[in-house]
Amino acid sequence: MDTEGFDALASEIEALVRGGDGARVFGDAGARAENGFGARALRVFAHQFRANPVYRAFCEGRGRTPDTVDAWQDVPPVPATAFKHLELVSADPEGVEAVFLTSGTTAGREGRGRHLVPRLSLYEASLMAGVRRHLLPGGESLPLLSLVPPPAEAPDSSLSHMVGTLARETAPSAAWLVDGSGRLHVDGFLDAAARVGGSEGGALVVGTAFAFVHLLDALEERGEAVALPPGTRVMETGGFKGRSRAVGREDLYAALEERLGVPGRRIVNEYGMTELLSQMYEPVLTEGAAARGRHQPPPWLRVRALDPGTLEPREPGEEGILAFYDLANVGSVAHVLTEDVGSVEPDGTLRLRGRAVDAEPRGCSLAMDELMASAGHGGAP
Amino acid sequence: MTFDAWQLPDGVALPDGGPGLSFSAGEVDVHYPEATAAWIRALARTLQDGREELLARPAVRIAESLGRVGERFLEDGDPLRTEALRLLPHTAGLSPEMASAVLDGMAYGWTADRLAALLEADLAGGEALDGFVDTSRGRVRAVGPALCVQVASGSVPGVGATALLRSLLVKAPTLLKPGRGDLVLPVLAARGIREADPVLAAALAVVYWPGGSEALEAAALLDADVVTAYGDSHTVRSLRARTPVSARFVPYHNRISLGIVGREALVDAAVRRAASDVAGAVAFFDQRGCVSPHVVYVEEGGQVDPPAFARRLAGALQDLEGRLPGGTLDAREASALQQVRGTAELMAGSDSGVEVRHGGDADWTVIYDPAPAFAPSCVGRVVRVKPVPDVSEVPRLLRPFRPNLQTVGVAGCGDRLEALADALVRVGVIRIAPFDAVPFPPPWWHHDGVGPLRALVRWVDLEG
Repeated sequence: MDTEGFDALASEIEALVRGGDGARVFGDAGARAENGFGARALRVFAHQFRANPVYRAFCEGRGRTPDTVDAWQDVPPVPATAFKHLELVSADPEGVEAVFLTSGTTAGREGRGRHLVPRLSLYEASLMAGVRRHLLPGGESLPLLSLVPPPAEAPDSSLSHMVGTLARETAPSAAWLVDGSGRLHVDGFLDAAARVGGSEGGALVVGTAFAFVHLLDALEERGEAVALPPGTRVMETGGFKGRSRAVGREDLYAALEERLGVPGRRIVNEYGMTELLSQMYEPVLTEGAAARGRHQPPPWLRVRALDPGTLEPREPGEEGILAFYDLANVGSVAHVLTEDVGSVEPDGTLRLRGRAVDAEPRGCSLAMDELMASAGHGGAP
Repeated sequence: MTFDAWQLPDGVALPDGGPGLSFSAGEVDVHYPEATAAWIRALARTLQDGREELLARPAVRIAESLGRVGERFLEDGDPLRTEALRLLPHTAGLSPEMASAVLDGMAYGWTADRLAALLEADLAGGEALDGFVDTSRGRVRAVGPALCVQVASGSVPGVGATALLRSLLVKAPTLLKPGRGDLVLPVLAARGIREADPVLAAALAVVYWPGGSEALEAAALLDADVVTAYGDSHTVRSLRARTPVSARFVPYHNRISLGIVGREALVDAAVRRAASDVAGAVAFFDQRGCVSPHVVYVEEGGQVDPPAFARRLAGALQDLEGRLPGGTLDAREASALQQVRGTAELMAGSDSGVEVRHGGDADWTVIYDPAPAFAPSCVGRVVRVKPVPDVSEVPRLLRPFRPNLQTVGVAGCGDRLEALADALVRVGVIRIAPFDAVPFPPPWWHHDGVGPLRALVRWVDLEG
């Protein structure tokens, strides 16, 4: 196994990510000159091709090897679904430090994807870069109110690990208001909100959109509203996939302002997935409300919109299925093809269109998710 | 090209604004009216006014009249068939060759003979629809709904047209909302009916609106006696919840199908035919049908082993690509296919035993997968071949999918078929058929378990 190659390459990428000058080293996502990114992306491909026999066979089957590929865009992308069936690790499997599971919206436990992470510190460096840039751009140190379960209670959740890391690295105090079984502690939230009431600079509140809906419902039921201190910002992530109650984002943000006192200009949407160790954010804290609707990748992550039939790249602004090339995924597979739909702007930022593609699916044949759900396998907690 | 996605009875004008809305399907601009709830309600009342004349017509005469229209779809050069073949490749995403084959298969069930046979099979000839009939236990009569509202879905062309023939056969004024991918045939059928038979036409409306338009659906449902709903579980659940308590709800929710190939078909003399029949069952409708198999269990111990059968099947699908080419997948279908194919290719490089063959730009994909679990994937002619030591082991594997199973295609099970069928019944399978019959069930099949006309009628006893 090619562990030495992995360690050296992962250390190099981690150092650059930690260094905070990623844009200079990797090149800007929108710039034509991307030698820094492209060269490293090809080295990551060469490493993964060597270290991961399953991926190598896949690439060879598609006639793409490090000898024939000279642009990272031509590296064969791995479908996200493959994480459900294979352990896609490109390092010594004995050295895997964490295994994160996808949420498995409807496909049940056995249908959950597994991301094996051989170097947790690289994930942490990558996620902290996003947190610092998009949630704490002034170098703030804010008390945390988390609607995400603590990592000790949800060890297989990459999101919990992310929030645990940011708590450890930046927060003077952390209140965990959703437990490992997904239960929301409303009284705990009210207590924590009261405690941070005088906090200068506000607090950082993080949660999934779904958790916020539950919190807001609970507050409404009790006739409660809290006024979190000025400067408080909310990180909201995830959609409402497969959930019983769909709420529009505007409604959610209006309710967050009304019930928590956090204005829309300080609500930041994060877009991430277990299969990727880097995240994208709407840069509203740094660029204002005009940034709403555009997710910015870090310099070591590229996103492209592809034609779903041919996988040819779409023109800027044109919708397609999204493929990500994430250098932080050096220990697994860097190029990941998803079923999410969106378009990429000339500056490299992403406009998402969520999961559903067509309002009316064709055919009376049954989709896998639906089948599994109705067969009683369904439902994340 | 344009297509007007409606056919209304005489005297019903388009709503204000006329055909104000449209969408494009391939090279066809599909126009449809900007319906309002009030307009739908008025339309429903007009349709109900046509019921008396329908009731006065003997059911066998209705079958003859509808059959004459249905037969036009089989006659080369007939304007209805010509227009259908011109439009279907665009609206249903099928290749012209497949569109033609699908129309042949569907319209074969719409002839006068077949509709008369449906009446015979389901309602003993239909006399009870015309008046009370004597039975050994008294006098009974069958009566169709005063208004049948049919919400069809999807893009298996012909499902909507079949639905409207059924409800007219039981003398029910019918309001049909076709699915986006299956609006051509019901509209053309209604047009043919209008040209041929004013009494039937007065009680029939086909009008498209986008699925999930709750206000329009609510207006349609208000006066319905019977509501039939085709679609995914979300659509069917939503319609069921909004159907008046007094109305009968007939759900045709999405289902999944599979195949079983036993040893008797895995001999040199028979395997070619078996592979070709399985390929046809997979490829028809580009696998969008609820009858389309997604997994084929192949018995071990035959002359041809399961991996070899998978190779044969790949060859047969490739051959079929020449005669009945695949059509176009929509974005979601194509995206799902990328995931399934790519994942299978990766697994082929692992120790999973998976083997993949596919048609490159052609959509067919055969995945040989030794793992026995039933695992449907996506549409676009994607089939998994899985080995089983004995065909009798298949039913057990299907148990978790009981609520959604539909057709099992079979070949080479010999005299074990009876016992196998009995076990399949217990796990919820609704239909068992030879592979070459899988795509087109006969008109009188027990559609999702119920006779298609019996699903629509009420029985009235006249006691004396």
